[in-house]
Amino acid sequence: MSQAGKGRLNYRCPSCFMRDLDIDMFYDKDTEEYYCLRCQFTGKEDEVLKLNEMARFRYKNLLKRITDFE
Amino acid sequence: MSKFILNIIHRPEMVPEYAEKVTGQGKKEDIGRKSLLTESLDIFKLQQEIAHENGFKTTIQMTYASLFNEEAVQLAKEHHEKYGDEIGLTLLGLPCKEFREKYKTKDFCIWMFSMEDKKSIVNDVFEKFHEVFGFYPTSTGSYYMDADLTNYIKEKYPMVKCAVATCWEEGPKAYRTCNNSWYTLFDGGPWNPWIPSKANTHAPAANAEEDSGIVAIPHLSRDLLACFDGNGSNFGTHPQNVLRGMIYKDGEYPYLFNLIDQYKSLQKYNNGYAYNMMFVGPGWMNKMGRWEAPYELLVKSYRDGMAYYAELRDKGEIEDMTMTEFADWYRVNKSYTEPECALWKDILYGSEKQLFWYVDPYLRTCVDMNQGGALIDLRPYVAKLEWPVGIGTKHVQDASYPFLIQSMYRAGYFTHYAGEGTIKSLKVSYEGEEVDLCLCRTKGKYSKKGKDTILTLDPVEIEFSDLKLKLVTTFTFTEGSSEIKVSRKIIEMSNPDAKVHLNEYMTACYGTTEYPEDMCGITLRCAGKEETKELSYNYKCREESVSNATKVEAVVPQINTRVSLIPGSTGMEGYLREGYAFSPMFTLGLTKTISNSEELITCLKLEKAD
Ligand SMILES: [Zn+2]
Repeated sequence: MSQAGKGRLNYRCPSCFMRDLDIDMFYDKDTEEYYCLRCQFTGKEDEVLKLNEMARFRYKNLLKRITDFE
Repeated sequence: MSKFILNIIHRPEMVPEYAEKVTGQGKKEDIGRKSLLTESLDIFKLQQEIAHENGFKTTIQMTYASLFNEEAVQLAKEHHEKYGDEIGLTLLGLPCKEFREKYKTKDFCIWMFSMEDKKSIVNDVFEKFHEVFGFYPTSTGSYYMDADLTNYIKEKYPMVKCAVATCWEEGPKAYRTCNNSWYTLFDGGPWNPWIPSKANTHAPAANAEEDSGIVAIPHLSRDLLACFDGNGSNFGTHPQNVLRGMIYKDGEYPYLFNLIDQYKSLQKYNNGYAYNMMFVGPGWMNKMGRWEAPYELLVKSYRDGMAYYAELRDKGEIEDMTMTEFADWYRVNKSYTEPECALWKDILYGSEKQLFWYVDPYLRTCVDMNQGGALIDLRPYVAKLEWPVGIGTKHVQDASYPFLIQSMYRAGYFTHYAGEGTIKSLKVSYEGEEVDLCLCRTKGKYSKKGKDTILTLDPVEIEFSDLKLKLVTTFTFTEGSSEIKVSRKIIEMSNPDAKVHLNEYMTACYGTTEYPEDMCGITLRCAGKEETKELSYNYKCREESVSNATKVEAVVPQINTRVSLIPGSTGMEGYLREGYAFSPMFTLGLTKTISNSEELITCLKLEKAD
């Protein structure tokens, strides 16, 4: 097994992102998985995308245009 | 006045931060890489093009590296001629072959160098600028400009009028988000432009004598609620920061426009004036993309941001200025003691949370309406704390202005199991039951009366098993006073004959980070008409009180600050509480028993200790 590199995009670890940590993941081409050096997360691209979607749960006004600031 | 002013700043950074680390993955470090230089310049050109297409002039902040690049210099000259862009000089972007050869270091943050190196770098950079352009710049900046640095620049290059001087609440939170590897530790400053004092950049000057001679602008306009708790670098007028926070869906990011609009709405609290700045480093628009955001989205977000500003401009709602134009405007239109205020609401998480931020030359504070008007942040600017930073000082990296209260770093109302956290609030008790206003969610309204800035909270309801009451809190900040007057008035009671006990208290400590500092050396004192009691902090969990209090105070020599609570009427009891090792805090309080329609008035005062 040779060293890991970067994937198609420089994904951050979704598990760390949800605890306010920006940690680049590395890509293991043998297993086609991204993995985090800091925590235990490992996952394929579609799972990363799904979790990134989930990370937005706290932004309840993600798509809302606000005009009243009182 | 109705003025919403915009500064757009671009820097040709020949070796963008991030870019070498990210695009160079798997290659040996080489900051002279031709492809890196070409790409960096292309990004700068694109940013300039987008601003100009939208009819804006920019401030081009030349980096040291770019002064050695003929094309970058030529572009700046052309754009100055054609679009009226200002050519300024940033102290960001120092790294280049010439710099590394002379200084033999990879340090790149100006405030972290030794004073000797700071002077030498300023000389080199300003003189190189003069050699290239034939004049000296009138604007400069970095992520942070320490007071000694600014004072040196003003002494040597007095024509400098404006500087990017801090990045709001970029401190321990940003450090942690970056895997404890991004050392920009400078919490505790103003969020909007100010005139820094000669003693400490964060603390605004109170008069001409304290005036550092520059108008400081913040690096970006940050979300005053999201940044206080979350990673600051996700919530600002930096489109790619918004992408970093994943605050978008299908290429749409209404949050960015909500943020700009909320800044515009701050005109209401600042005599018609509001401010915004956009300053995106080229590393954020590189071809490799930035994390999961592809290049196309990075560029689209920049175009959309600029187009939105143009839309506002076309409606006459925003005006673009260069940094120096803005500094001139600010000098004419603002006074030293006029406060900067922001009644800020959550525009992202869908809560109803509302914060009131207040800054003047004596203090910075934040009132949390979601905790019944508790003070959750307090910085004693009145101390004008001399706090040298950089190699050879006691604070190599930590440039934050110390707090007395910071409810995120040192707990607020809620603590685990034992001890107390930093907060200023009110406890109401009746027949053995006690309620803290921290658990009463409410909203506030701003008003202005002469020199008084007034924040009036909607009444909160307090329910005991045998009594219900309504209480109104009012904060008054009188310009130039270094005081906050707090009124707690009972406006309704289910039993009009009942008497309740009010305890106005403040639990505080000092520091710049999450971790406790040694409290020894702090003096606590409560003074009454008949006697004064005093103790020297030694973690012994002691308490003292006096009747007919005239003042309760703490002197914190570590931050040269005296903080006191002063009764607004007679007959109050004053008390103090020392903490213990598991609760390294002190508490000052004033109490009184009052009836319906009565009011408890107290005053929080901050002074320089010596
Ligand atoms: Zn992780």
